[in-house]
Amino acid sequence: MEILSMRELLEFCEKEQKTIGETMLMLEEKKSGRDQQTILRMMEERLIKMKEAVDIGTKDSSPAPSGISGGDAVKMGEYVKSGKPLTGSYISQAMTFSLATSESNARMGVIVATPTAGAAGILPGVLFSLHQNDGTPFKDLVMGLFTASMLGYVIANRSFISGAAGGCQAEVGSAAAMAAGTITELKGGSPQQAVHATAIAMKSLLGLVCDPVAGLVEVPCVKRNAIGTSIAFSAADLALAGVESRIPCDEVIEAMYKVGKDMPRTLRETALGGLAVTETGLKVKERLFCSKK
Amino acid sequence: MEFQSCFDIIGPIMVGPSSSHTAGVVSIGKFIYELLDGCPEEADIIFYDSFAETYQGHGTDKALLGGLLGMGTDDPGIRHALQLAHKSGLDYTIEPQGSCLFFDHPNTTMVTAKRGDHLVKVGGASLGGGLSKIFMINGRMVDIRLSTSDDFSALAKNYQVYRLREEIARNA
Repeated sequence: MEILSMRELLEFCEKEQKTIGETMLMLEEKKSGRDQQTILRMMEERLIKMKEAVDIGTKDSSPAPSGISGGDAVKMGEYVKSGKPLTGSYISQAMTFSLATSESNARMGVIVATPTAGAAGILPGVLFSLHQNDGTPFKDLVMGLFTASMLGYVIANRSFISGAAGGCQAEVGSAAAMAAGTITELKGGSPQQAVHATAIAMKSLLGLVCDPVAGLVEVPCVKRNAIGTSIAFSAADLALAGVESRIPCDEVIEAMYKVGKDMPRTLRETALGGLAVTETGLKVKERLFCSKK
Repeated sequence: MEFQSCFDIIGPIMVGPSSSHTAGVVSIGKFIYELLDGCPEEADIIFYDSFAETYQGHGTDKALLGGLLGMGTDDPGIRHALQLAHKSGLDYTIEPQGSCLFFDHPNTTMVTAKRGDHLVKVGGASLGGGLSKIFMINGRMVDIRLSTSDDFSALAKNYQVYRLREEIARNA
């Protein structure tokens, strides 16, 4: 058993009457030789670590060692409590949890890469926001991680998931696409709808460059994680409304791959282009590294 | 087909800030630790391309040294790996370079490490999402995929025949 494209995934789900998450669980059983209980327990462990990172991050307002990130999760959390967020409860809480995770990551705290550390805020953001807002139970969130990993598995094997290889579109883009499909499946959407949500989210981030200031996974990464959750929720809402991606998801992934290949080295996590070489970006780099030499 | 498992996508559980520049590099270091049956006394590290440009910001140096000291990707000690290397008597040098001749990937490193009589020169690449690959050991091309859920000790055992005695390696 192997699944190499979204088309194959949807054919399998249709034939076997399985969700995307259940399909990943089956595939993992077949490929790893581990039994289902063990695989579920390993995924639970990851969800628990994700929750711990969120819990730490929502309370910790200390800056990262660089001084260029930290404190925004606490700020956002207080604003959400005030009850006035324009984006509503789902997205505003997802942004808070996402900031919390990404800020913990910048402090060299323990997080779970989903699919990478640079994009680690997006999935916990949406999952724990679903739990907070409509009580989605723990075991459903675990299944959500199987949905997310199935979608990410196809993306990673057909394209890339790291900023150094394909720009931020490959990193935050992939994570937001996985999260969009996951929300859709958890909210009762069909596998087709989940894959449309994945395509819609990925299309919205196509071309995004990886330009971290001073090479740190902080500016603009932390906020791009927060915004990634809102794109995931928006794409899921569109798909659940029955809106379809005109370009099939496999072709969107192929486009992401080609755009990434065409992207100059300066815009692929080398900190030699984009926001990294703005006046302020360069000043930060000089303050952090050049003064030490 | 580099990604073989749902845990290659959801995971590893790791110390931040970067799965490719931190976690994947811990695995490369840990593989070398296992290859040498312990922590090396000397390590000359070359970082290529994206690693060369951003290793300080991503803690890539701490990650590689943490791995060489035997740590896993989720070990909070990685934060203090520079000091811990010093305490453990691991002498190291770091040299940033352009692109790597032997492997076409932006996140590539070459580590020459010595422990006792043994010397190994290992090429590794971090492929993203915490997944890595060892592509060269002492001048031989290899293809060893490292996922954090693998048993590195067992994997490395298969390649210990590639280790060279120091004087032979220096002259090779």
